[in-house]
Amino acid sequence: MRDVIVVGAGGGGPVVAKELAARGLDVLLLEAGPRHGSPRDEWTHFENDANNPLTGYLRFGPGDRDKPAWFRETPQNSFLWQLSGVGGTTQHYYGNSPRAYPGVFADYAGPDAGAYDTAHRFPFGYGELVPYYQWVEATLPVQTAAMGTKEERFFDGAETLGIPVQTTKTTTGASFRPQENAILQPGGTAGRTRNTDELHYPAATGCTFCGHCFQGCMEPVSAPRNQFAKRSTDNSYVPMALTADVWALGGKPVTLVTDAFASKVHTARRDGSLVASGVSWRDNSDGSTHLEDARVVVLAAGCTESPRLWFRSGLPNPNDWVGRGYTDHFFDWVVGSFDEYTGNSKGVGSSARCDFPGYGGLENVGLPPALQAFSLALSDSGIRGGYGNGRGATGPWDGPAGRLIGPELKDALAGNADNLLNVLVITDDDVEAQNRVTPSVFPADANGPVAKVTFRQRERTPRTLANREYLVGKAVALLRGAGARSVYRIDWAPLILHVQSTMRMGQSEADSVLDANAEARGVRGLFIADNSALANGLGGPNPTLTTQALATRTAEKIFQSYFGGDPWVGDESPVVSTDARVSTRLAQLGL
Amino acid sequence: MTASDALSRRVFLARVGVLGAAFGTGGLLRSDVAGAGPLQLPPVGVGTLQPVLAELARDTLNGLTTFVVPGPDAYSRSQGTPRTEPGALDAKATDFMIQALDNFVPLPQELLRPVVTGLATASADLGVLLPLELQQLLPDTVSRLDRLLGLVLADDETLPLSLVIALLLNLVATQVNPLAINGPFLSPFARLSYADKAKAFSLVEGADPDIVGVLDASLPEPLHESVSGLLRFVGGALLEFPAFGSYSEWAVFDRTTRTLTSTPVGWGLTGYGGTSDGWDELKGYYQDRTEVSD
Repeated sequence: MRDVIVVGAGGGGPVVAKELAARGLDVLLLEAGPRHGSPRDEWTHFENDANNPLTGYLRFGPGDRDKPAWFRETPQNSFLWQLSGVGGTTQHYYGNSPRAYPGVFADYAGPDAGAYDTAHRFPFGYGELVPYYQWVEATLPVQTAAMGTKEERFFDGAETLGIPVQTTKTTTGASFRPQENAILQPGGTAGRTRNTDELHYPAATGCTFCGHCFQGCMEPVSAPRNQFAKRSTDNSYVPMALTADVWALGGKPVTLVTDAFASKVHTARRDGSLVASGVSWRDNSDGSTHLEDARVVVLAAGCTESPRLWFRSGLPNPNDWVGRGYTDHFFDWVVGSFDEYTGNSKGVGSSARCDFPGYGGLENVGLPPALQAFSLALSDSGIRGGYGNGRGATGPWDGPAGRLIGPELKDALAGNADNLLNVLVITDDDVEAQNRVTPSVFPADANGPVAKVTFRQRERTPRTLANREYLVGKAVALLRGAGARSVYRIDWAPLILHVQSTMRMGQSEADSVLDANAEARGVRGLFIADNSALANGLGGPNPTLTTQALATRTAEKIFQSYFGGDPWVGDESPVVSTDARVSTRLAQLGL
Repeated sequence: MTASDALSRRVFLARVGVLGAAFGTGGLLRSDVAGAGPLQLPPVGVGTLQPVLAELARDTLNGLTTFVVPGPDAYSRSQGTPRTEPGALDAKATDFMIQALDNFVPLPQELLRPVVTGLATASADLGVLLPLELQQLLPDTVSRLDRLLGLVLADDETLPLSLVIALLLNLVATQVNPLAINGPFLSPFARLSYADKAKAFSLVEGADPDIVGVLDASLPEPLHESVSGLLRFVGGALLEFPAFGSYSEWAVFDRTTRTLTSTPVGWGLTGYGGTSDGWDELKGYYQDRTEVSD
């Protein structure tokens, strides 16, 4: 009998695992994919090797890359960018760590209170979450990002928008700023040379501006795993969880089992209540099945897989909200082509952003060439010059919205790897019941009925649709202000990559799965600690930091409710994940 | 099968490219009397038809990848968008697609099977005029070719998804332009102009009812409603994947050494500086601010 079983070692699960391991609990952490224990021997910086969703080392599939990826049904033109493996999607994330807008919380009473998704607020106030934000920001750590050329260009444009610079963690109005990133900022030779021989740790520390956030971070060369620049959980929380005995008094290292696909959450009836009692899983490599009991179960398999596991386990769904309310920030993609160098392929994935509370936000995104080409070919507006697929809007951008294909794709990319500037439009999108995860009727795989992820992108709420158009207008103005020669609006088909709220906590029992403690309303001792637990899309800010803050709070709730413990956030000082004790212990363990 | 059924089935086989490929490669169908009589099918097995179908799939995907990333090749010239600089074929994007489709796309066979059955049994009579030599095929020749095709499509071990995609694209191509049933290349899709290829994709991505009708004719409930969603997804993926593959390192990546054997085509096209452990790109901090307050 374990104290706690955590299902999923992505952005959220390892946070709960690390925090409870530090309290001395016996924690089992299950991960469906592999742990990349030696990135220098397993990874490259190449886009197909890393990011091919069918064959890459960062994909949604088993550890054995000769086996096919796992199937999902997406009954619309869209791309669902899930990852398995320790670190989950933080393996390819950009470390962007803004806090949620205060306007999406229960107690918000600012003059723009009506501008948000007021029907689906968090069931507590922003102030309640701030100490947990601070704890996570110190643990990762989160730091103000330095600029590369592409950020200088972005700020050139942002300065023409008539909005102020934000100099606080909390966003209070329309503004622009460097990202707060979960990335160690450059030290020593990092960012100052392209000569690999000079970029070894400790001559170089933190971000080396390599431009490969999306291929997984393994910089600087020879750095201890917990001092890699990007603070994906495989570099931060998981190393801490595995070494909890050396940095936490009374801490107990978690047991991590990889290539372990959870197949069922078990329950029992106790005192008239349904309670979680354990988890069974399937070993991807040999097909064997395993079961362990636990006092508490934490689901952190992600916005698509947590509902899938819920359905497969036959857990209660009395209000039919399991899997519903999927928010994805209804991205759009606006690209400027410049005569001068932008540094698009180099440096941190994204170090600059604009915030527009009530609408969402913008951020710059640097990409290497294959992903850049992919990004220009993903659209709900057909092919520019060919067909509009019922859309193909015109506006302040050049020509109709739509894909660049054929001669136009080649012309846009010709010699332009470092002359483009991409702006990601991150829409504050409403929680809608129709956007959801259900069990697919397609044939099941070895892990049960696959997930069907449905987005009715053209039938979203008027507020969501209007927010996206507002932000696209800002993105175009920013690019023109920065000096873009031409501006393309791609009108992305759903790129489901910021994922939130499919098992949402909420103020009302009628449209939420979790209570304000992130505990399932229908199953005692069952908590959720991934992005699916979020009440909404946060107003647009990138979700990982808020999930990690919420997961920290959830760990405290678990410790208080089920293990008779006291809270620690606010009373104790967090240990930073780069701590030398963690490095030393990882080396001793060969991890 | 009535004579009318056989004729419409013949038209369908011509539209998806199978009839033309069998004739075009010259190895399967031949005239019995020194080019004079109707084409006939000699006694051959599945193993003989498979390479013909593989060539048809490759030809169709050549027509696709050059649509997305044209270059200095016959397909790009034929569609009316010739280029002087390298394109998809130089980046081996067709091989990239075939390898991905045939080995790594996790579409369950239980889903693929009925979709393929739809393709394997559909007929068509949309006023398509067959080339004379295909008009003259004896019904027995058509039905024997049909049976062979059915055997290929019925074998879970050998059914390549690249062929299914090719049959689909060719079916749509001949809906856009019935004249594409005849001409250079094996594949009707590859014969389309750039503008007509775009029209073909508008039908796939728009889940055109005629195409949906062919594909879901054999689907059992509850899969019956799933084809249009699948088509919308496939329509997008078939444009995004060749773009990604053409500009990636796939063609020159040595998986054993995890190094490149030469500079990827896409890097040359875009002027990409290549991968590195770091760049001298640090420009300092905006307004010299290195931290913010709460």
